[in-house]
Order: sequence, then C-alpha cells, then structure tokens
Amino acid sequence: MQASWNPLTDLQLLFQYHFMHNAFLAGTIVAVVAGAVGYYMVLRAQTFAGHALAHVGFAGAAGALLFGLSPVVGLLVVGIGAAVGMGMLGDRNGSGDAADGVAIAAVFTFAIGIGLLFLQLYPGQAENAYSILFGAVLGITDTDVETIAAAGIATLIALTVMARPLLFASLDPEVAMARGIPVRALSIGFLVLLAFAVAQSVQVVGILLIFALLVTPAATAQRLASRPPVAIALSIALALLFTWLGIAVAYFAPYSVVGFYVTTIAFLTYAVVVLLTSERVERAWQSRAHARSAAA
Amino acid sequence: MSRGTGSLFLAVVTVAVSMFALIGCGNGAASAPSTPARSGALQVVVAENFWGSIAKQEGGDRANVTSIVVNPNADPHAYEPTTADARLMANAKYVVYNGAGYDPWAPKLLAANPVGGRRVLEVGKLIGKKEGDNPHMWYAPSYVARVAAQITTDYKRLDPPDAAYFERRHANFMNVALKPYSAEISLISQKYHAVPVSATESIFVYLAQTLKLNLITPPGFMKAMSEGTGPTAQDKSTFDHQIAFKEIKVFVYNSQNATPDTNALEAKAKAQHIPVVPITETLQPAGATFQAWQTSQLRALAAALHRATRR
Repeated sequence: MQASWNPLTDLQLLFQYHFMHNAFLAGTIVAVVAGAVGYYMVLRAQTFAGHALAHVGFAGAAGALLFGLSPVVGLLVVGIGAAVGMGMLGDRNGSGDAADGVAIAAVFTFAIGIGLLFLQLYPGQAENAYSILFGAVLGITDTDVETIAAAGIATLIALTVMARPLLFASLDPEVAMARGIPVRALSIGFLVLLAFAVAQSVQVVGILLIFALLVTPAATAQRLASRPPVAIALSIALALLFTWLGIAVAYFAPYSVVGFYVTTIAFLTYAVVVLLTSERVERAWQSRAHARSAAA
Repeated sequence: MSRGTGSLFLAVVTVAVSMFALIGCGNGAASAPSTPARSGALQVVVAENFWGSIAKQEGGDRANVTSIVVNPNADPHAYEPTTADARLMANAKYVVYNGAGYDPWAPKLLAANPVGGRRVLEVGKLIGKKEGDNPHMWYAPSYVARVAAQITTDYKRLDPPDAAYFERRHANFMNVALKPYSAEISLISQKYHAVPVSATESIFVYLAQTLKLNLITPPGFMKAMSEGTGPTAQDKSTFDHQIAFKEIKVFVYNSQNATPDTNALEAKAKAQHIPVVPITETLQPAGATFQAWQTSQLRALAAALHRATRR
C-alpha cells in the first residue's frame, strides 16, 4: 500500500478494511492494560516475572492447541497457575528478591517443558504455535475483540481496586506489612493480573513481544515523571502511541510485521529518553543553565 | 519546556523520522506483483502458488489470480501473513487455500474480514482431510484433478456468462497441460513397482502411493519432520538402519524444510551411494507452472530409480 502523505487520505486508507478496525480496537485495549499493569511491574522490579509469565504462555497455547481450546483460555489457565506458583514459592513480600528469581525460573522452565510435550503430542503443525508466539494482528475476529474487551475491563477494574495498597506495598513492603496490608496476597494477586494482561495481548503482539508493551512504556514513563498518577497516564499514553504507530506503519511499510514496528518504536523512544536523561546530559544541561545565568 | 517533556519530544521526533524513512525506502518493493488481466476479471487469491498455478491456468484471462506463498526457499508451514496479504484477501471474490492445518493464517485473515459474496475453497474440506492428516494434497494426482474440477465449478458460478470458456480451459488443462505429468507417473508406476524408497517427510507419501513405490520409512518419522516436532529415537534408528544396510534404493528429501536431522541422513545416504532426490513444497522455480515443476521432479526421480535399479 502506497502512503499518499496526505494525512486525511492516509487515515481513510488505514480504516478501509474491517480487519484494520479490529486490529486497532484490540490494540487499543491491550495497550491501555499493558501500560497500566506494566507501570506496577516495573515499579516492583518484577520484569523477570512478566517475562516468565509471557513465556509460560507457550505452554498454555500449546495445551490449547492439543485440547482444541481457544488459545486465550489456555493462556489464562497456565498463566494463573504459574502466577500462583511463583507467588507461593517466592519470597514473602515478593518484590524482586533473589528467592523470587529462583521461584520464577523454576516455574517458568517447568512450564516450557510441559509446552514442549504438548507440542509433541499435538497431531498438527507445530508451527501453528508461531502465531501465538508472535501475534496475528491481521486475523482478529469480532468475537476476539469482544473477548479482549471483556478481559481488559476486568483487569482494569481489579487493578483500580488494588491500586493504592499495591503502590504502598511496592514502595515499602515492610512498613505496609506492619500497617496490616496483606502484602503477600497482593503480590500473588498482582502476578495473576499480569498473567491476565499477557493472555489478552497474545492476539496483538504475541507472547514474545507483549513484553515490549509491558516494560518499555512504563520504564520510559518512570524516567520522565515521578508522581505515580502522572507516570501511569504517561505509560498508557506511550503504550497507545507505540501500538497505533506500529500497526499504522506496518500497514504502509513493505515488511508489514506489526511486532517489529511496535518493538522498534518502543526501543528507539526508550533509548533516546535514557540518553537524554542520563547523568552526563543532565550535567551538560546544568552547566548550560549556569552559563546562561552567569551571562545574565 | 521542561527537560522531561523536551527529551520525550525529541524521542518522538527521532522515532517518527526513522519510521517515515522505513516506509519511504521500502515503497518501491511494496508494490504487489500484479498480472495483467482484462478489466472486470475475477479477483482470485490463492494461499499457495501450487494451487495458484492451477487456478491461473483454469481462469485464463477471465481471472486475475494472485498467490501469497511463493518463496521457494522458505518453509510455507511457517508463513506469516503481511498486511498486503490481508488486503488481497479482503478484496478477493474467490479464495483458495489448502487447509488441513497447513495454512492456519488463511482462514484467520478471512474471518477477520467478513464480506458478502465471496466464495472460498478449502482444499482439505473438499478432499476430507483435517488438521493432523497429511496436508500435502497437491502431491496426489487424484486430489489435483478434484481440486481443478472444483475450481472450474466455482468459476462458472461466479461468472456464469463465461461458463463455456472455463469448461474449455479445464478440458485443456486436464488433457493437454497435465499430459506429460500423467505420462511420467504411469511410466514410473509400471517400471519401478514396489521398489523400496525412503523420504524425510510426509510430503512424498501421496505421490509414493500413486507411483506404487514401497515407501518403507517409519510414518512417524515423516510426520514429525513435516510438523516440525522431533522424531522418536526408535524411528530415527530404524531410518539409520535402512540407510546403513542399503534397504532403500532412493532417498527423497524435502529441500524446503531441511533440518540438521534430515541433512545428516542425506549425507549418510550419499556416503552409501544411494541416489538422493530433492523435492519442494512450493513451485520451483517460483515462476514455473504446477505441471512443469512436478514433471521435472518426477523425471529426476525416474533417473535416480534407473541408476539404483538398472531397470
């Protein structure tokens, strides 16, 4: 598809087909959820848990193939099981300690092993799991959009309920525990939410690339804003921007792999923000400001 | 402007510029390959080019046929559709795809874009093969004939005024175009009846049955290779044994889905001076017709059988 470089015509071209409406609808829901959940994941230093929960999805997807279930169902079952397992085996407050890392790795590798067995038992093409690993954004049906919307709204409601105590428990688990906040239950609850977020995003970016939407917008937002509400809003906005741009670019570009564009845009944004907010640049800004005030 | 917003702004600009560069430099390559056809010709999209070649020959200048999977160097089992493919599917009046779990992306693209008045031919459904069965139906001459007949029936339904034209094209395809292909098949089946051969993949199974060759490779091995899972140790040792004791006369392998396992077997077969014949999933070269591609593979197979048996 040739881009006309006339914004209005290009927008019309972009929404000419039903499959693109579905891609944008599903992408929007996934981005909002990933941006919000991702903020807490990065804040709690649980990126490894997020990574692992995305990858245990492989077992869920392979199991769904084998038992003829919808991939989303398989991902939810395995993801929630893994989340509870990681929470139970891990450290008491579950905030990124070494014990958590070991628990996550144990559950994660076990799940991958089960996934491998499922694929071997599955009579069809093992490659069919590819669409789950990398997403199939062009093949989203109306029913898929409804499923993603329902799961997304449920996740956002649960996150809103947990938001304040979770923030407290994430920033200072010991004080939170002393104040009677159920830190451990919150920790397991959050992992389950994370599994939920991963399961619904499978259709759009796939389980390998969901990680980009969970981590990069949240990490970028945290470098730019310190107040939680502002950072969460910015994280959601960035996730939306990455997803929309990624889908739009893939529509006009020759190598139309949505996952590549979403992750590239996310990576470039994060890299530039890190460079510009690094200490060296900060010093340069400060010395320039000094020079200016000295001159004035 | 604060430093935070400043750096975010710069980041967005950098990203936007690089994305525009990406779109811009690729636009030349983006233009879809289009075949000249009469205006008002039927828009036909076929998932794989082996069926596409048949649809094209049967449609003549009354159908504008575009195939999606065409790269002879990639494994079509692992194909990922592009937005251009999704647009093609959305605009098509007639869609043909293999089915039987071979191209799960094709029904997905169709389901994501429901439109009225589109006809769809799922070859697996027509033949009665489902996911888990051997999906390589274009390697069975009888299935090829059934698919060709169904395509003609569908063409006639979509474009009734040209019914006689499509009938002529179909007769020509079956009786003239496929003649060397059918001749080569009956020659091999008569001359090399019951010769023991091996194959790395289930892609050769239907053809071996038609050719009346004795395909002694463990079926589990061929199925595992085709489906991208690992073969069992038992099946692998049986295959090794068959090569080491020269129980097979010819070794057939799928060059489009070569793995370290099949490469090692091919090397072993060559070391035993067993003739090796490569076959492919899709048209080779990409621009060949279905029958030219199949016939040249059959001739290579006949030559290998001749060398091995001196018949």
